[in-house]
Amino acid sequence: MDIQRPHRRRVLSLLGGAAAVGVSGRAFAQTDSSRAEPPKPAQIVVNHSGGSMGSAMRKAFFNGFEKKYGIRVVETSPVDFGKLRAMVDSGNVEWDLTEIGGQDAIRASKMNLLDKIDPKVVDRSKYPPTAQNPHVFASSVYTTIIGYRTDVFKGGTHPKSWADWWDVKKFPGARSMRNHPTDNLEFALIADGVPKDKVYPIDFDRAFKKLDQVKPHVTAWWSTGQQPAQLLLDKEVVLATGWNGRFYDVIKKGGPIEIEWNEGALKQGSFAIPRGAKNPYWANKMLAELAIPQQQAVYASELGYPGLNLESLNFVDAKVKPYLPTAYLDKQFWISDEWYAENGTKAAELWNAWMLKKA
Amino acid sequence: MTTRAWPALPALILLLVFFLFPVVRMLGFSLEGGTFDWYAKALGEGLYLRVFWNTFEIALLVTVFCLLLGYPLGFLMATTTPGWATLGFIFVLLPLWTSVLVRTYAWMVLLGRNGVFNRLLMEAGLTTDPIPLLHNFTGVLIGMVHVLLPYMVLPIYGAVRRIDPAIPAAAAGLGASGGRIFWRIYLPLTLNGIFAGSVLVFVLSLGFFITPALLGGGRVMMIAVLIEQQVREALNWPFAAALSAVLLVATFAIYALAQRFSQPETTR
Repeated sequence: MDIQRPHRRRVLSLLGGAAAVGVSGRAFAQTDSSRAEPPKPAQIVVNHSGGSMGSAMRKAFFNGFEKKYGIRVVETSPVDFGKLRAMVDSGNVEWDLTEIGGQDAIRASKMNLLDKIDPKVVDRSKYPPTAQNPHVFASSVYTTIIGYRTDVFKGGTHPKSWADWWDVKKFPGARSMRNHPTDNLEFALIADGVPKDKVYPIDFDRAFKKLDQVKPHVTAWWSTGQQPAQLLLDKEVVLATGWNGRFYDVIKKGGPIEIEWNEGALKQGSFAIPRGAKNPYWANKMLAELAIPQQQAVYASELGYPGLNLESLNFVDAKVKPYLPTAYLDKQFWISDEWYAENGTKAAELWNAWMLKKA
Repeated sequence: MTTRAWPALPALILLLVFFLFPVVRMLGFSLEGGTFDWYAKALGEGLYLRVFWNTFEIALLVTVFCLLLGYPLGFLMATTTPGWATLGFIFVLLPLWTSVLVRTYAWMVLLGRNGVFNRLLMEAGLTTDPIPLLHNFTGVLIGMVHVLLPYMVLPIYGAVRRIDPAIPAAAAGLGASGGRIFWRIYLPLTLNGIFAGSVLVFVLSLGFFITPALLGGGRVMMIAVLIEQQVREALNWPFAAALSAVLLVATFAIYALAQRFSQPETTR
């Protein structure tokens, strides 16, 4: 695939320290004089969740970056908020760029753990306004939705809403849900009749009462991302909530699984530059690479997680589009990172207590 | 300091810098703001007390099962021919060198509803419906015992090896039965090994994390999971430190208690 144009125009953008001008939407334009940018380090360190995500990022972004700038991209994992805080607090920041969870990103910027993203380097003009946080780069969209076994639920007989998910008479069989309050509290409220745009602020009592009903039918509470697809494949359960990319991976390989997108819980994957990172300029350059729509399309086709540069959908294969959550934005709802940044601890405590409750 | 102590100095310094110092810092964290509030929360709220209780209960059960399985194995390895002993060592040590995660996933394959065990049981006609072995307490117990068994077998093996073979031979020559030889000679002389193995297994169990999460299906909650949540998700390090300190003190207390009961007679 010829994704990158062979020639990238270099535009002079040094104007007495004033804002850079003439930045093309495709990639940041450099000045001809090397005075404009700090010296190239031998390498930069990008921290992400690893696994198949790491290999997709290498294919879509890192290889191109290395070729373009001659800077090696060293990858580390996993994503760890505690470690980020410890690094910034101690002043020994190993990561130039790190992936970070949505609500963690909000808390991290409040705790002053993140560097501002340089708008002169990273062009986000094609991003939705909600995805232009000054400290947080929205890299991709993912959603928690229903995965089901196609040999058990044939010809559209599967649950199509959270109300259906809770209806164990009409849709019998073992279920798996995430061992975490996020998503489940929202699903419970929606199943109980709350419109999906009115779930926040969450009514804990109502949510847990509804969750009580489904608890005996959840045979496994998953804690790692690959579990739901595995549980379905092993026939441990017939229904599982899970992240769309993990199901997409199995479907791509011909596994007997399908996705119901209705009332899915959308979240954004994010990257940020830790305060005190050793090469902030080159971290911004890496973000600029992550913002290129063609590269985002490569990434989305690999994993099923589309980028937020809205142009990127134009570069995706028609066969892939039905498996991207951005194709069903209206049917789904956004998880409120703001609400969890405020109430996450309380939600986690209540969740643990609820999990310990017998039956 | 006597000259005999000098060679131990590097290790002592290492412990001081990399163990004692972090522990003291952690304790400092837990008292942030000069209050015992976080301890009050750790010991006052039902949730945390129950999880502590769960943790010790599981650790105790794992220790008991490891002992029941590990003692005969260690004993056999110590008394059989060198060839069989080597084979035993391979079986005991090989899992020790395999990642816990890999072993845990292997158990998921074996114990699942459509796993190897359940299929064998159903084909043999012993059961019609799959027995729930995974995503519950049973699964966690099996997985943890497997991971920790080597820590029980090796000290017991060592203890049995140290017994002078002339002693049981003499007892047999004087007409003692096998059972009597075991109770009067082997058991008392291997108590140290039993104690060492049990303490190792018990203490290691307390910090278990990934095995309960994966094999317990989220239902089996141990304190390490909650501490991790406080460190990584809630970023409440003072509370995480307080929980850790409670775990540490409780572990020491149990250790001291066990030591009192285990060896009243020996003075080394």
